[in-house]
Amino acid sequence: MAEEIVDVLIVGAGASGAAIAWSLADTRMNILCLEQGDWIDPASYPGMSLDWEMGQFGEWAFSPNTRKRREDYPVNDSGSPIAASMFNAVGGSTILYAAHFPRFHPSDFRVRSLDGVADDWPLDYARLAPYYDVNARMMGVSGLAGDPAYPPKEVPLPPLPLGKLGATLAQGFNRLGWHWWPSDSAITSQDYEGRPACINAGTCLTGCSHGAKGSTDITYWPEAVRRGVRLRTRCRVREITVAASGMADGVIYYDGEGRECRQKAHMVIVACNGIGTPRLLLNSRSRLFPDGIANRSGLVGKNLMFHPYAMVTGIFDEPLEGYKGATGCCIMSQEFYETELSRGFVRGYSFEILRGFGPTSTALWGMGAGKVRWGLDHHRDYAELFDRTAGMVIIHEDLPEEHNSVTLDTDLADGNGIPAPKLTYRLSDNSNAMMAHSVARAKEVLAAAGAKDTVAEAPLPFAGWHLMGTARMGLDPKISVVNEWGRCHDVRNLFIVDGSIFVTSAAVNPTNTIQALALYVGDQIKANLATLFD
Amino acid sequence: MLTTEQLDLLAAALDEVIPPNPSLGLAGAGSLGMAEHIAGVLARTPELVAVVSSGLDALSAAARQRGAAHFGALPADLRRQLVGEQGFLFLLMFIGYAGYYQHPLVLTALGLEARPPHPQGHSLPPNDASLLDPVRQRGRMYRET
Repeated sequence: MAEEIVDVLIVGAGASGAAIAWSLADTRMNILCLEQGDWIDPASYPGMSLDWEMGQFGEWAFSPNTRKRREDYPVNDSGSPIAASMFNAVGGSTILYAAHFPRFHPSDFRVRSLDGVADDWPLDYARLAPYYDVNARMMGVSGLAGDPAYPPKEVPLPPLPLGKLGATLAQGFNRLGWHWWPSDSAITSQDYEGRPACINAGTCLTGCSHGAKGSTDITYWPEAVRRGVRLRTRCRVREITVAASGMADGVIYYDGEGRECRQKAHMVIVACNGIGTPRLLLNSRSRLFPDGIANRSGLVGKNLMFHPYAMVTGIFDEPLEGYKGATGCCIMSQEFYETELSRGFVRGYSFEILRGFGPTSTALWGMGAGKVRWGLDHHRDYAELFDRTAGMVIIHEDLPEEHNSVTLDTDLADGNGIPAPKLTYRLSDNSNAMMAHSVARAKEVLAAAGAKDTVAEAPLPFAGWHLMGTARMGLDPKISVVNEWGRCHDVRNLFIVDGSIFVTSAAVNPTNTIQALALYVGDQIKANLATLFD
Repeated sequence: MLTTEQLDLLAAALDEVIPPNPSLGLAGAGSLGMAEHIAGVLARTPELVAVVSSGLDALSAAARQRGAAHFGALPADLRRQLVGEQGFLFLLMFIGYAGYYQHPLVLTALGLEARPPHPQGHSLPPNDASLLDPVRQRGRMYRET
């Protein structure tokens, strides 16, 4: 089906696709976004039902391989100890994320210069800071100024309530003299710009029916659409096509009825996450790009970074009301964030305090941990756990290594016959050393807070939430895929704005930085419009 | 799907998995209707029907081997022993636990309101800002570049 030629074609309506669509909307260019998922009806989220906690095992699961929704594509992650997690919809993975929203630190952009490993980014914190500010306003970030772990930054909304659980953990950190701070969260703590304040329902990871959690379907997209951006859902892009000139000239996609369609464009922007983006690029082969579009460096798909996660759960004697409050947004500690070589590893990690388990999750987690037995011991075991757990996840910086990669699977394909991505990933010695240190420190602080017992799991096999590095940014086309403002070295009118372009991973959730980068790229495109394709 | 006899046996087995809780005034999982709950789950996941059905048949056969006319006629300790020996126990636990801890009577007995989290949510007290005093005194922690 022949289509009009649009000025800008964005592939993917998630965190970064939404941000750049909104950014470019004020140019009044003809902008179209294709998204393989659809709009999600907030009334469909499980949190409106008594059995909501079971949603995470079915169609609201983290992994597309578990969900198998129409818009999901399979991921072969058998070659990785960490399973990929993503969600395809308007809003992308922000539909299911916890909305924990820290920034990178200045040092995160200078890893080679400061610590002698990985590489430096071709931009720095100061360059991105104004875009973090814009993103905070658009997403509705709650937090508290004055964190000594960061340069000064303003936060639009006050912090979310810590509750008894958060205060208990905070006292543990204080007893050890360790850093902690209320988490920056893309969750409204007060009524804000037409969105209501969070009601502490605790259902964040299966979607927010209330509208307090900042997913881009309710933040950037409504305004982008009002400004004229068109968003076409249930359209799965198979490949980016290339003209004889070597410029991208559009895409081939399957519409909601499975028909093969072509969309021509003057500029293509890819926002498909750190697995979807290399998959698309590698599948876009041509005479000019036999190894996939924009892949003359050979680095598309390479340097996959996950953030290995560990989880340590503390069991307390007293009730903590942990089932109340935003699930993943309470307090954060960066006591061990910056490199200290005496610890036995380079770079560092963040502690992120989670709330406690709901009634069903208590039973199922306890069952898995051997803490809630069946039979005569059941009720005593359960009573010792329910409302007496506090969780902590640990986000470890993942260094880029070329052997960690996304390639195209030769056997597995999605419902449209597009090859599935195949992950090859192993944990480094540095990651393992870091994890041993972090788990020991986590147990230490939970004990300091009053935990009588702890249960640790490291690495968390289901925690492949952060997908980074597979189309890295850099100044040298031989060792990078995109330049310092997201333009592919090999294709002047092709841009990438998702976590694929990360040079290093930091040790914090990436969404805020992904979106700040997308906004930055949008501004660079606008500033260079007159000479963009010279 | 499960027969009536199998559902009755499932309920009896579930009463061993999660027995009555006299301190909270709660019946066991089977008596609270978890057999019907599991039947509902099986209707949505037919691939599990054979596992549960054959597991129940094995449990019934094991009871007869012990000389009982049916599972419920066995003494309590033997009922528990036989349940513990069945390969589908893990499945009974997983689905049974999940259903039990969504039951309104159980939620109420735990001191919760028997309602989903939305649309009411929960209230939390305001933060105690003084908790941060030790952290504020630390000074800059990040590395400049």
